[in-house]
Amino acid sequence: MIAYLARVLVRSVVTLFAIVSVTFIATRLSGNPIDTFLGEGLTTEGREELIRYFQLDRTLWEQYLAFLRGVVSGEFGLSFVDRRPVTQVVAERLWPSGQLLLCAVALTIAVSIPLGVLGAIFRKSWIGSAVMTVAFAGYAVPSFILAILMILTFSYWLNWLPVVGNATPLHYIMPTIAMSGVLVAALTRFTRNAMLDVLGQDFIRTARAKGLSEARVVLRHGLGNAGVTVISVIGLQIAGLAAAGSVVVETIFSWPGIGQLLVTSAITRDYPVLQFGVIAVAVAVVAINALTDIAYALADPRIRLARS
Amino acid sequence: MIRLMLTTALAALPFAASAQEITVGAANMAPYLDPGRDHSNVGSQFYYNSFDTLIDRDHTKLEPEWTPALATSWELIEPKVMELKLREGVTFHNGDPMTADDVVFSLNRMFQATFPPYVVRAKDRLGNFTGAEKVDDTTIRIHAEREEPLWETLISLQQIMIIPEAYTKALTGDPDVAEDSDFEAFALAPVGTGPYAIESFQPGEKLVWTRFDDFWGDKAPLEKVNVVQIAETASRVTALKTGEADIITNLAPDQLSLVESDPNLKTEGSATALFHVMIMNQNHPKLQDPRIRQAMSLAIDRDALNEALWAGKAVVPSSHTMVEMGALHQPDLVTFEYDPERAKQLLDEAGYDGFEITYDTAPTYYTNGLLAAQAIMEMWAAVGINGKVQVQDQWSGNDPEMMARNWSNPMYFADPFGSFGVMWAPGGPSQSEGRFNTDEDYAEKWERFRFSTDVETRKEAYAELMEEVKEDPAVLPLYRPFESWGMKTSVNWAPLPGHIPYVLDFRAGSISLADS
Repeated sequence: MIAYLARVLVRSVVTLFAIVSVTFIATRLSGNPIDTFLGEGLTTEGREELIRYFQLDRTLWEQYLAFLRGVVSGEFGLSFVDRRPVTQVVAERLWPSGQLLLCAVALTIAVSIPLGVLGAIFRKSWIGSAVMTVAFAGYAVPSFILAILMILTFSYWLNWLPVVGNATPLHYIMPTIAMSGVLVAALTRFTRNAMLDVLGQDFIRTARAKGLSEARVVLRHGLGNAGVTVISVIGLQIAGLAAAGSVVVETIFSWPGIGQLLVTSAITRDYPVLQFGVIAVAVAVVAINALTDIAYALADPRIRLARS
Repeated sequence: MIRLMLTTALAALPFAASAQEITVGAANMAPYLDPGRDHSNVGSQFYYNSFDTLIDRDHTKLEPEWTPALATSWELIEPKVMELKLREGVTFHNGDPMTADDVVFSLNRMFQATFPPYVVRAKDRLGNFTGAEKVDDTTIRIHAEREEPLWETLISLQQIMIIPEAYTKALTGDPDVAEDSDFEAFALAPVGTGPYAIESFQPGEKLVWTRFDDFWGDKAPLEKVNVVQIAETASRVTALKTGEADIITNLAPDQLSLVESDPNLKTEGSATALFHVMIMNQNHPKLQDPRIRQAMSLAIDRDALNEALWAGKAVVPSSHTMVEMGALHQPDLVTFEYDPERAKQLLDEAGYDGFEITYDTAPTYYTNGLLAAQAIMEMWAAVGINGKVQVQDQWSGNDPEMMARNWSNPMYFADPFGSFGVMWAPGGPSQSEGRFNTDEDYAEKWERFRFSTDVETRKEAYAELMEEVKEDPAVLPLYRPFESWGMKTSVNWAPLPGHIPYVLDFRAGSISLADS
C-alpha cells in the first residue's frame, strides 16, 4: 500500500509541475496586462514606466525562473490589480467554492445513488422508466438554464429565495441544485448500469441462494461491488466541476468563488492571480484524483494488489 | 407550509434592511480604492462618498459653481500661485485631525509623484502644478508652472482628494517615509474625510459604508450602505425585485421597461458625460488620404444608431463637446455630420478601390458596441465602403495594423481639456500610440486652448482644433450613451448633472428614503 501511495504522490507532483509551466506560458501568450487593467489613455512613456514597475520588462525566461523560485519558496507574488498577495486573494475565494462543491456532491450522492439503485431493481416497471426519463432530461439541461429557470420561479415570481451571494443557508439552495443537475443525471445512470451489471452476476445468485435478505443482497453485495464504477465516476465529475464547472453558476448567483475570480483575472491578464488560481484548482483536481485512486484501492483489493 | 417557513426565514435575514440602510447591486466593484491612481468608470462610483477635495462644486447644477470644501477660501496671490485657507476641525475616518501637512502630502503625492501609477495619472491632467507648500497650520499654497485658466476645475479633481499623511506612511515599512507599498496598502484600507467611512472593503466583491459622525459638513442621510457586486444583469434585476438590492447600477436599455412595469420599482438615468467614439488610424498605409477617413465618418448616421440602439435617449454631438463644459460648450460647431452623398464623392476623389476596412470591437466591453459596429458596416456599405467587423478582446489602439475601432472618451473633468484634451493632446495617448499626428500648428492651437486665461480665446482655439479634426479626422464621437439605474420607488436618488460619470453620490441632499 505504501509503494502504491508513493506512486500516486510522485505522479501528482510531476503533473503539477507540468501544469505550473504550461500555465505560465499560456498566460503570457494571451496578451499584455498593461492594455487591460490600466484603462484608457496611457502615453507611451506612461506605459513603459508601468511595465517596469510591474517587472514585465524582464525576459520571459527571467520571469519564469523568478516564478519557479517563488513557487518553491511559497511566494506567489502580488496581484497586478489590487496588489494583495495572490495566496490571500485565492484563499478567500477557495472556501466558498469548496462549500458549494461539497454541497453539490452531497446532494448528488444522496439523490442519485438511491435513484440509480431503484432504477436497476425496478428496471421493468414504470419506476425504472421514470428514473431514466428524469436522468436523461437532467443531462440535457445545462446548469445556466436550470439556474435561470429557478431564479425566475423562486425569486422573480415567488420571491422565496435570495439570489445574491452566500450569506445564509437559503442562499445555497439554488446554486447547489444548479451545480448538481447534470451530475445527478450522470451518476444516476452510471449507478443503474453498474448495478444491473453486478446484479446479473453469479455471486448474487449465490447470495440469494444462501438465504440472505433481498436488502442485504442488493446493498452489500450489489452496491458494494458496483461501488468501484460509481467512485470513479464521482471522482471524475467532481474534478471536472472543481476545474471549470462552477464558473457559470458562480457568476449567475454572484457567488464569491474561485470561478468568477479566474474569469476576471483572465480577462484583465492579471498573471499572478491567474497562475496561482489555476495552480490551486489543479492541486484540488490532482488531490481529488489521488483520493479517488486511493478509494479504488480501498474498495477493491485487486487494484492495489495488481499495481504493487 | 413551505412557503410560510421560507417567508419566516427570509424575514429574519439581514437583507431586510432597516429604514436607514440600503444595498446597492453594482455591476462592477473596484479592485482597489485610491482616488489618486484611479480614473476608471468603476472606481469613480465610490470616491465622492468617502473623500473630499479642497474645492467642490454644486453638483445639482450643470454650470460650475464652486463651493468651499476642505478649503474655506482661495485666491490667486500671484498669477501662478494660489493660496488656500483650510477648514478647521476636519477629522479623518481613523480619528486623526486633518492638518496642513496632510493636505500638502496629498497634493504632492500627485504633483511630485514618484509612485508610477500616480506619475502616469498626474501627467495628463495635473502636469502644470509643480508643488504644494504649507504656509501655516491653516494655509497652504499651490504653485503652477504657467498661468492656469482652470484652477478650480483641477483642484476639485478626484485624483487630488485629501488623504491622511501619517496613516498612509505607517501602513508599511518605515512609518516616516512614503513608500510605493504604502500607497498600494492604502488602496486596500482607504481613509478619507467624507461623510461615509469605509467600514469594510472586499476587492472586487463588496464595500460597506457607514455614516461618519465626525464629518465636518451635513451628516450623511444613511446609516449604512452595502455595495455588492452582482455581475450578471438578470441577477441584478432579480435582486432588485426580491428586495436584496435597493438600487442597481448599469441597467441595460432593453431592461428599462421590465423594471418600470413593476409598481414598486423605477428607473433613473442620464446621458453619461462620456463619448463612445470611433477612432481611425491616420498612419495606416491605406488610410493616409484624409478623404477616406472623412468618408468613413460622413457615412455614419449617428441619429439612426441612437434611435435603434438607445431608443433615442443617447445624445449625438455635432462636435467633441458636452453641455457640462459650461462656457466652453460649443454646440454650434459642426465638426461631425452625416452626409452619405459627400462620402461617396470623397471616396471617388480619393480613388478608393474597395479595399477592406476593418473595425475592431470587443464583444461586450461597451454597451451596444458590437451592434453599433455591425450597423456601421451597413452604413459604410451604403456608400461603397467594404467594411468588416473584427471582434477581439485585445486592445488594438496601439497596433499599426488597426484601421478603425471603438473607444471611449470620458469627461474626466468639466472642460474640453478633461475629455478631448486628455485623449488628443500633442504627445498624449492617441499620438503616442501612433495613430494620430500633430504638428507645430496643432500644438500652437493646443497651447492657446489649454493655457489662455481668456475664455473667448480658448473657445476660438478649440474651434480651430475641431477644424483640424474635421479636415484630417482620427476620431468620431458617436454618442453619449444613456446610462440607467434601477431602484425601489421609496428611494429618492438620481445621478446629478454636476458629477463626472457614474458617481454614486449619497451625501446629504442627494439621497433620501421615503418611509415605507
